[in-house]
Formats: sequence, C-alpha cells, structure tokens
Amino acid sequence: MDVNKLLAALPENDFSPTENSDWAQERLREIFADLAPRAVPVGSLHRMWTLSELSAQIALAYLSLWVRQRFSGEEAAQRQAVETNLRVALKLLHRLAYLRGAMTKLGQAACHVPGLLPKQVAETLDHLHFDAPPMHYPLIREVVRNEFGKSAEEMFLGFEKEAFAAASLGQVHRARLKSGEPVAVKIQYPGIARTIDADFRNISALLFPMKLGKDWEFTNAQFKEIRRMLNQEVDYVQEAESTRLARDLFKPEDGIVVPRVYPEYSGKKVMTTEYIQGLHLRDYLATNPTQESRNAFGTKIYVAWQRMYYAFMPYVDPHPGNYLFLSDGRLGLLDFGCVSHYGPDEREIMKLAEKMAFEDPSLTPEVIRRVCAVSEGDPAYPDYLQMMNESRDWTMEPTSKPGPFDFGDQAHFQRGVDWFARTVSKKTTRANPMYVYWNRSTFGIKALLFRLGAKVDVHEVIRQERNRNRTN
Amino acid sequence: MRITAKAKTETRQRILDAATGLFKTEGWHNATTRGIAVSAGIAVGTLFNYFPTKESIAVALISESVEGASDEFPTSHSQENSLEADLFTLIWSGLAKLREYRSFLAPAAETIFSPLARASEARAGDAIRVGHLEIMEKIVTAHGFPGPRSAVAVQLYWTLYLGVFAFWAADESPGQEDTLALLDQSLKLFVSTLGIDQGRGTNGRQ
Ligand SMILES: Nc1ncnc2c1ncn2[C@@H]1O[C@H](COP(=O)(O)OP(=O)(O)OP(=O)(O)O)[C@@H](O)[C@H]1O
Repeated sequence: MDVNKLLAALPENDFSPTENSDWAQERLREIFADLAPRAVPVGSLHRMWTLSELSAQIALAYLSLWVRQRFSGEEAAQRQAVETNLRVALKLLHRLAYLRGAMTKLGQAACHVPGLLPKQVAETLDHLHFDAPPMHYPLIREVVRNEFGKSAEEMFLGFEKEAFAAASLGQVHRARLKSGEPVAVKIQYPGIARTIDADFRNISALLFPMKLGKDWEFTNAQFKEIRRMLNQEVDYVQEAESTRLARDLFKPEDGIVVPRVYPEYSGKKVMTTEYIQGLHLRDYLATNPTQESRNAFGTKIYVAWQRMYYAFMPYVDPHPGNYLFLSDGRLGLLDFGCVSHYGPDEREIMKLAEKMAFEDPSLTPEVIRRVCAVSEGDPAYPDYLQMMNESRDWTMEPTSKPGPFDFGDQAHFQRGVDWFARTVSKKTTRANPMYVYWNRSTFGIKALLFRLGAKVDVHEVIRQERNRNRTN
Repeated sequence: MRITAKAKTETRQRILDAATGLFKTEGWHNATTRGIAVSAGIAVGTLFNYFPTKESIAVALISESVEGASDEFPTSHSQENSLEADLFTLIWSGLAKLREYRSFLAPAAETIFSPLARASEARAGDAIRVGHLEIMEKIVTAHGFPGPRSAVAVQLYWTLYLGVFAFWAADESPGQEDTLALLDQSLKLFVSTLGIDQGRGTNGRQ
C-alpha cells in the first residue's frame, strides 16, 4: 500500500467526468468480459432491485445481449461466485445509473471499515465516489415540485438549469432568492432516500457470509453504524440542522464560514444554503499559493475540525470537496450530512481516550477494554496493545513538540498508512462503532493537510480548543 | 328516427364516463361491457355500435387524454434540451394526463399493448402506439439521430415505455418519485443504445 494509492482513493470533488467514465468503462468492459459466457446473476440482482422487476429484466436482457455481441471472446478471470455476483450487481447498477448515488455513499463508508470487504470489492467501491446520475431540468422540476408543490421558477429568481456542482446523491444549482441573496440549491436524485436502507440490507446480506468470523458482532455493529449514518446523510432536514449547529460554533474572527441554511426553501430532498464563492483545493493549489497562505488555511481547517470534535459533533467526512478557499483568506466549510453526534457513551469514551493520550498512558489497557472489548488476559491483547500504542503515537506526533508541525511531511503520513495496513493484516479491527467514522475522520484530515502541504501549530490549536471547551 | 351527430357524441361521452366509473370502482377485470351499458343507460347492442370491446373503450380514454401531445412537440427543437430531457417530458406529461385513470390502466395496458394480445385487442392499441412512436421518432431525429431506427431500437423503446407505464400505474411512492427514477434510468439506457444502433458506439471495439 503506498501513499499515492491511498490518496488516489480519497474522494475528489473536482474530478473530471471523462476520467471517471473511462475508468468505469474499462471496469465495465472487464465485467462484461467476465459475464459474457455466463448466465446473468438475475437472482441476486432481483433482490437488490427495488424498482419493477419488469424493467430490471428488460435492462438485463438487453445489456447481456449487447455484452455478448461486443465483448465475447475476452479472457475471463475466475472469481468466487459471491464476489462475481456482487461485482456484477454493483456494476450494472452503476451502469444503469439508478441508485448510483446510494452506492457511492455506501462505497465511501464501507471502504473505511478495515478488513471487512474483500479487497477487490473495496477497490471497486473506492472508485464510485461522486457519481450521482445527472438530472436534466425536466426531472429537477418534478423533484422540486414534489418537495414544495411549486416550481423552481416560482420559488427562486434566476434558477440555473445547469448544475454547477455534483453532489454524491444529487446535484447543486445556483439561484437567487426573491430577496436577492445568491444561494446554492442541492437537489437529491428521486427515490434514493427511501431505498437506501433496503439496498443496504441486501448488500449486507451478500457480504456477511464472507466474513462470518469471531469479530462478527463488531462487524455487525459497525455496519449498523454505517447504515445509521447513511440514513442521516440522505435526509437533508437533518443535514440542515447539523449545518445550523455547526454555524453557531464559529465567530467572524475565526475566518471560518458555514453557509446559512434557508429553511423555507429546504426539505428532505432539497436544501438551500447561502452561496459561498471560493475555490476547491485543486484550483486553489493551481494558483501557486504561498506557504503562509497554505499554513493559514491549514490552521483554519484544523481549528474547524477540532472545534467540532470538542462540540461532540465531529466532522467525519473531511474530504477536499467540502472545503472552499475564499479569496479574502476565509475558509468555507460545507456539507454537514456526515457528522457524528456523540451521545453520553461516546463522550465518555472520547474523554477517556483523550486522557490517555494527553495525560496518562497507563489508561491504555482500560481504553482497549472499552473500545475494543479486549482485556489483558485475551490472547489478542498484545496485538491490540501494540495497535493502540502506535495509533496514539501517530495521532499525537503533531503535538509532540511546540511550534508548527509540517503536515506535508510524507514520512508522517506514510507511518499512518503503514499503521492502517498493519491493523488490517493483523485483524486488530475490533472497535466501538464510533471509530468507523472517527478513523475516517483522522485519516481524512491528515490526507487533506498533506495535500495542502500546510504547517500548523497543532499544539497551540489544541490548547486553545480544549480551553475553549472547558470554559464554555 | 335520425340520430344527430350531437346525440352521438353525447352517447359516446356517456359510455366513456360510465366506463371510467366502473373501471375505477370494480377494477378493469371485473368491469363488463354489459355493466357499462347498464350504467350508461343504453342497450348493450347500442354500446357495441360505438365500441366493439372493453379494450377499445380504454384506448379511447387514453387517446383522448394524450391527444395533442404531438402538437406540444414541434419538430424544431431548441437544442437547449437534451434528447433525454425531451423524451422525458414527452412521456411524463403523457402520464400526467392519464393520472385520473391510473387505477385501472395497468391491467388495461397489459392487454392493449401486449405483443401477445389477440389481434382485435392489439389493433385497438395500435393507433396509440404508432402515434407515440411517431413523436418519439421526430424528437430523436431532431436530436441528430436520423432514422430509420432498427426494429430492435424501436422495440426496446416501446418495451421500456410499457415498463414505465405499468410501474407508474401501481407506484405508491411519494410524488411517484420511483417512476421518475425509473423513467430517467430507462431513457438513459435507450439513448445510450442509439449510438450503437447507428454503428457509432464509442465504447466498444468495432
Ligand atoms: N453553499 C454553497 N456554496 C457554494 N458551493 C456549494 C455550496 N453547497 C454546495 N456547493 C458545491 O456543491 C458541492 C457538493 O455539495 P455537498 O458537499 O454539500 O454535497 P454532498 O451531496 O453532501 O456531497 P458529498 O458527500 O460528495 O460532499 C460542493 O463541493 C460545492 O462545490
């Protein structure tokens, strides 16, 4: 596993559609090659298909016909039956556009459960980021009408018919409110929210037999957590609420902007927020920013991340598409669909782990007991102890010395990647479900700061944010 | 006694109204021509002068609702909309006009449009099918895919259309959003095959 691969696997907001469709087509070709001499696995597809069987059959019949004509005679790799079914099913769904968004979300989440998915599947899922089927305006019109009983033209001034950005479950359009404010209207592809749960059940059913091991309970709990988060993410009403909560955490002097939500123009499938003008990471980097500018943005990114963590609502999806670099130096923070909301249990674990990390390493066995349910007598304990120590060291490395820490340091990032790989290979992956997203969060933030090449005085930021938390 | 054209139109409308009522209350399969005649207050023999079969009544209902769809789609397409968008509008606006009859249309459609339908039943639906396919053909041509379409492409379109139609008739999802998704997905599939149909597939080896 190398850094570049990991980075490549991270979601990119500003991906080029052609690049991606080439990739998809290449995979599709492989799968079709695989598929040509075989019967289409209609059984498992049927279970997954939430729309009419008729349409599924027609589509499959037609596709397989097409496949046979075009791709027969290619080498077919031998795969396990289950994996083939799953892959074909995923790919056909992908190809047929419907529910691609749901798959994307599932993919993003599932990839962060170490050791859970066969490597191949994980790789497939990895590339499904940002792939909601595009909607043309006549479809948009119906979705908006379903939500508000009015058309977009009636609700907004200058609603732009072309989306300006893709979202994982839909797309985002620019418009203005009647009062003149520029807004971003995020619109969800129809039907995804209601079917995501059912699809998740079906996919879990396909996956679980592969991994019926001793850690089953944990796996199951982690899956439940992912499912919970997915259901939260597809509900823009909840996202609007999280956005509002996050917005309250920042003051003008922080230089961190969370867009205002317009509730009268928002619902379960449409969310309208204040439009923020800024650059995505890639475009920002293309302007050759100075080191000072990178550091300043990196610090804001880190502050925002810490602030939310100490507010018990960690931002667990810190991928580049969710950050905007404003020309006046402020940082825009978007997308609060994927925010954990820690309850009493999680807060207690969080505080215990904090205490272990900052003050008292002798708490490590207790943390392992609480988080991984492994006690000192357990034969796996030494592995878990090592895993926990390494994890702590890597997490705390930026705070070990006063002064700025260079997140652009490849060696630091590589150590994290190695740790992750070891954890997977040693199967020390038992953990409280809250860590599914927490691991994703810590990796995500470091990957982001690595790309940004920022130096951040982590020591100082943490001191301030912890103090702030105490005094609040 | 001469029956005036006006009286004829009125009787015809009475039959259609009675049929709509019965189809809704008793369902497509249970409603009979006899029952419709009774409900319309006419003799069964008279009804047959207007409509030879139950299917032909449904066809009349559908035709009248979707009539004029062609006029809404002038051949001069503003290239503002994509082909998918125009086909979407064609089909969705047609379905919207049939909303009133939704409850009995699915079973009716099965008989009327099925490739397995008996000749008399199928002929009744032919006009609608041909009419719809003509508009589709115009739209597709206007978007740079000159005809004639291969039989496979036309069959695929019609099969997808019927699939959407049958699904829509029974779709209880809020705002019928599942039909929206299915229609979108079906049209993507259809449009993606048009290039192949014309031998200019871009994603395969020739
Ligand atoms: N208020 C806004 N101002 C400016 N741009 C916005 C705004 N909201 C969304 N966008 C644009 O839309 C893109 C997707 O929005 P958002 O991240 O909220 O979608 P999402 O469905 O949650 O997708 P993902 O999970 O992929 O982040 C953003 O990367 C950004 O480019």
